[in-house]
Amino acid sequence: MTDLSRKNFLRFLAASFSSLYLSGCINQEKLLSKSLSPNKITPTSFLLGPQNIVEGDPTTEPEEFSTQEPSSTPTSIYPDLVVARQGDPEEMVRAAVDSLGGMGRFVKPGDVVVVKPNICASYHSYEYAATTNPWVVAAAVKMALESGAKQVKVMDFPFGGTAEQAYRNSGIQAEVSKAGGKMVVMSNIKFIETTIPDGKDMKSARIYDDVLRADVLINIPIAKHHELARLTLAMKNLMGVIYNRPYMHANLGQRLADLSTRIRSNLVIVDAVRMLMAHGPTGGNLADVKKADTIIASPDIVAADSYTANLFGVQPENLSYIKKGVQMGLGVKNLSKLNIKEINLG
Amino acid sequence: MAKGGNPGKIVISPSQWVKIRKISQIIFFIIFLVIFFWSRREFYLNPSIESGFKEKFVNIPLQLDPLVMIAQAIASRKILQGSILAVFTLILTFILGRVWCGWFCPMGTILEWVPIRSWKKNQPSVPEWFRGIKYVLLMVILFSAIFTNLTLLFLDPLTIGYRTLTTSIWPGLDKVVTFLELQLIKVPFLSAAVGGFDSLIRPAIFPAHPAFYRFGILFFGFFVSLIALNALAPRFWCRYVCPLGGMLGLLGKVSLVGCEITSGCSTCGKCLPACPTGAIKDQGQIYCDPGECIMCMVCADNCPVDTVKFPFKISKFLHQPYDIERRKALLSVGAAAVGLGFLETNFIGQVQPPTPIRPPGVDYDRFLSACIRCGECSTVCPTNAIQMAVLDGGVEGFWTPVIVPRIGYCDYSCQACGQVCPVEAIPPLSLEEKRVQIIGKAHIDRDRCLPWAENQECIVCEEMCPVPDKAIELELVEVPDGEGGTKSLQRPVVVRKLCIGCGICENKCPVSGQAAIQIWVPSGGNQNGHNRRGGQ
Repeated sequence: MTDLSRKNFLRFLAASFSSLYLSGCINQEKLLSKSLSPNKITPTSFLLGPQNIVEGDPTTEPEEFSTQEPSSTPTSIYPDLVVARQGDPEEMVRAAVDSLGGMGRFVKPGDVVVVKPNICASYHSYEYAATTNPWVVAAAVKMALESGAKQVKVMDFPFGGTAEQAYRNSGIQAEVSKAGGKMVVMSNIKFIETTIPDGKDMKSARIYDDVLRADVLINIPIAKHHELARLTLAMKNLMGVIYNRPYMHANLGQRLADLSTRIRSNLVIVDAVRMLMAHGPTGGNLADVKKADTIIASPDIVAADSYTANLFGVQPENLSYIKKGVQMGLGVKNLSKLNIKEINLG
Repeated sequence: MAKGGNPGKIVISPSQWVKIRKISQIIFFIIFLVIFFWSRREFYLNPSIESGFKEKFVNIPLQLDPLVMIAQAIASRKILQGSILAVFTLILTFILGRVWCGWFCPMGTILEWVPIRSWKKNQPSVPEWFRGIKYVLLMVILFSAIFTNLTLLFLDPLTIGYRTLTTSIWPGLDKVVTFLELQLIKVPFLSAAVGGFDSLIRPAIFPAHPAFYRFGILFFGFFVSLIALNALAPRFWCRYVCPLGGMLGLLGKVSLVGCEITSGCSTCGKCLPACPTGAIKDQGQIYCDPGECIMCMVCADNCPVDTVKFPFKISKFLHQPYDIERRKALLSVGAAAVGLGFLETNFIGQVQPPTPIRPPGVDYDRFLSACIRCGECSTVCPTNAIQMAVLDGGVEGFWTPVIVPRIGYCDYSCQACGQVCPVEAIPPLSLEEKRVQIIGKAHIDRDRCLPWAENQECIVCEEMCPVPDKAIELELVEVPDGEGGTKSLQRPVVVRKLCIGCGICENKCPVSGQAAIQIWVPSGGNQNGHNRRGGQ
């Protein structure tokens, strides 16, 4: 190949790059789906180490798996669930989390915290109660930073409209920036194929890398109506961190519970400042919004969802994901077995 | 004026002029790219915010294009405020000749940068009469515009530039970058760096989720073949085909400043092969055809005796055999009329013409005589809902925007396409107005819909519906559960009077292949006309 001149070499190179390029023009999703095949532990998830595979408070972890309806944590001096009412959003969040033992119980200095609000679409401002109240999100961000968090990332993966626009229209971007948190636009390449070892129906999913790597996950759903799930609450809110959401709908309750075994919410703060009573999850009608001025906080995702379901007059056992969550040992739905503290700031 | 290098003032030598011109080409090429990326980014990030600035700024290049603006004004019988900018280009051409082609046009710049012809030893010669093609094309475009047709505007160099960037080059780059990122992110020590790089380039340059355009390879192939024509002659496209070049060339023939080979010429012939458009001819005497000259000044730079000047003068129309004359003009009228006749006999015929879904607010009756095929709406559409038609709307609608809901839905909080459209073919609507535009109506295919056909739970279309009162209702029915008993199941039903046809239901429908819920343009047309070409 002595007669391969530099010019010809460059031409060959250019030709091969352009063919790669053209194949890029033709295929859309192929590249993405091929590169991260299921049933394969990717190096990144391997690197995470076993300690991150089950996140969550180590004190509550073993008993969460032990029985179907565990009684309240024996070691805990704190209430299992706190309800704050009638204050302004930040006050209520602070009061509720402080009663749970303060943010320092969940966030240790130097932790990377991911806050997951519900920013499902870019259509409306927070008044329409389709997206989490910005001041509730900001309060959680502030408290996490006050507890020494290294970084607080706030993210969701809207199904309607672009994330950038949804972040802005919901008002969350402005408040989070003021509070010192970072809004992260979830990028396609960082959904990592991850196994769900405890999953019964869903054994793997493409889950967002930042969420997998976070030291602490604070789940801040808004309490709202949804036709299939009946209500969109904390467990349903976790759908925002995975890539293939249409897949979930076929067996929603079980798959949400499966997802919750892999993505542990260290703290759940349910925003019921405004509740969307109908035409969820997108809303758009102020007539469907009920102002309840309530914040529910708990480390137990099932308990938080069950309590909120009652606010809608829905029996927790009628929500498929709560039922499956209890079966999977994710938490307690029976409110009478819980140590609940109610705070009225009004 | 300054170009003549008036003695007594600062004299700029021809080689310096060539350098200045090359810098100008680079600057305008970069401006073109910046406007493209900036418009994409601005509308992607703020599709619901009217700044009043970005909409105007983005459209400046196309508004400077006299071919597009004149043809559009003729076809739509409406002169837009922004088209006034095109007059500026015409005046500039009348004074300085085809400087647009040599100094500004991004297409011309690319063609100049890829001198394929110099790579080849044996050079084929192109007959001179080919130069007439651009004039014939120009006449056909203008005559067709009189008949309200703008199909051939897909040959305008700026619309080619926008379309190619939007539908192939930019998404192609995106794919390559995404591919490399996905490979590298798996390398443990690189994953953090790749993540950081990704957040730098998205959404600044590429969207968070890769853009997709149908037929990207077709648009890219068209563009590449234009460049490949350079193998036959330098700037083949500019010399022989470009209808905008034809329009500016006609005006350039009588321009005030033009290339002149003054007395003292040694007839060495060095300028002849140097001229990128072959405007300099040797027919006993060496002279330059100002209609072909793009004022690149390479000839002056190559002249050993410095006799090529660019004086200020009144020049008379110099007739060339390839110029447009009566026979060619008649041919153009005939071609336009016959071509239109064929276009009007569409595939399906008169009863029901092809019915592509058009962007929100479009008046179907006048859309094809207003759209200039630039593809800017497709550039800014944040969900890729707007795709360029190939045969969706019949041959006549070649490279007009259509909505393909399976690729992207019309975002309920976006009004970008109407804001960006340089010719108001997609009307500039406020968000409130756009939200009530009927783009189409959703129809459920009950033979394929999961709850209807298979008694499976699925409410995705209802969940996604952005209309405040939900244009999809769920009927609660008792169905057999397959084990002898019954179960209750929700089945979606479209509320026709609420549906706006945004297509998010079709987009997100989990049924594989064609969605089980699809958007169709209503048979009676939408509120803006009857979905028929109709006589004007």
